[in-house]
Amino acid sequence: MIPSDHFTRFYNEVFKFLEKQGEEDLKLYWLEISKNQEKHTLELFKNKGLKGMYEYWDHIRLEENCDLDLTLEEDKLELKMNVCPSLSKVLDNDAEPMKRYCDHCAGWIGPIMDKVGYHMVYDVIDRNKPQCIVKIFKKKADALKAEKDAKLLMGWPGKETDNN
Amino acid sequence: MNKIQNDDKLRYQDKGNVHMDFHGATNTTIEFIIKKYGLNVMNDIFMKVGKNVYKDIHEKIKEGNIQVLAQHWQYFFDREGAEYNIDVQDSKIVLTVLRCPAYEHVKKISGEVSPNFCDQTIKTNEALCEGSDFIIDTEILGEATCRQIIRKRT
Repeated sequence: MIPSDHFTRFYNEVFKFLEKQGEEDLKLYWLEISKNQEKHTLELFKNKGLKGMYEYWDHIRLEENCDLDLTLEEDKLELKMNVCPSLSKVLDNDAEPMKRYCDHCAGWIGPIMDKVGYHMVYDVIDRNKPQCIVKIFKKKADALKAEKDAKLLMGWPGKETDNN
Repeated sequence: MNKIQNDDKLRYQDKGNVHMDFHGATNTTIEFIIKKYGLNVMNDIFMKVGKNVYKDIHEKIKEGNIQVLAQHWQYFFDREGAEYNIDVQDSKIVLTVLRCPAYEHVKKISGEVSPNFCDQTIKTNEALCEGSDFIIDTEILGEATCRQIIRKRT
């Protein structure tokens, strides 16, 4: 058994292999993970919207030992990851970290947001630091406005190009 | 069960809560990689996990320290609430997993477990011993149960 504590280091090895195959291969994998994550999120997000998203990440905050601030507003949910346990483990690793490890997160969350009709702005800030800011909006116009302030904006499979 | 002495600190000693759903993502990954690239690619990735991620254990086994593997087993099976026994003998260590938390969790959340799910254990174990005087026999005894024996190569 690869302990669940070490999943992210296994994940990192998978990413390194897929990156060598090409960008499309990485995207297909993120979509597969996204489909898997739908089991835990899709109905919750559809039924409860931003409140459901808050519930999901509040659970993740505890279970994955995240240093994460969650702020729920009428039209927006903000996740401010102060210390990401996933990238922290990949960096604290005897195997080499994949340089674009952070990209997978938007890679699986983005397609779910598209399915439930919300608009995500995923700012990784710096791929070498375990921190990021994710903003999820009800209104597309608000997301487009917020994208302008992002330092390192992430895309995902299927993201509309006019959002870039 | 013999309590394994933990004189050497394990390279990875995670604390806090355990996110069991990661086992579901491992299961999805195994299915995806095998379907798209074949079994050998999946096994190569597991071998890299064994040799590179677990470099510290791999190096210690090469130096003849097999206790480190027992420490690792004990630490992480305890964290995940497994039912298991570790029997430390003079020339070998036997781990018997009576209820594997990873297998059981995937079955609970997905209904189906990949027929290759336990390859993560078999191939990672194989890599841990590569280039050493030791070998790990990993025997799947049934659903969510296995025996892993590390012993000198003959």
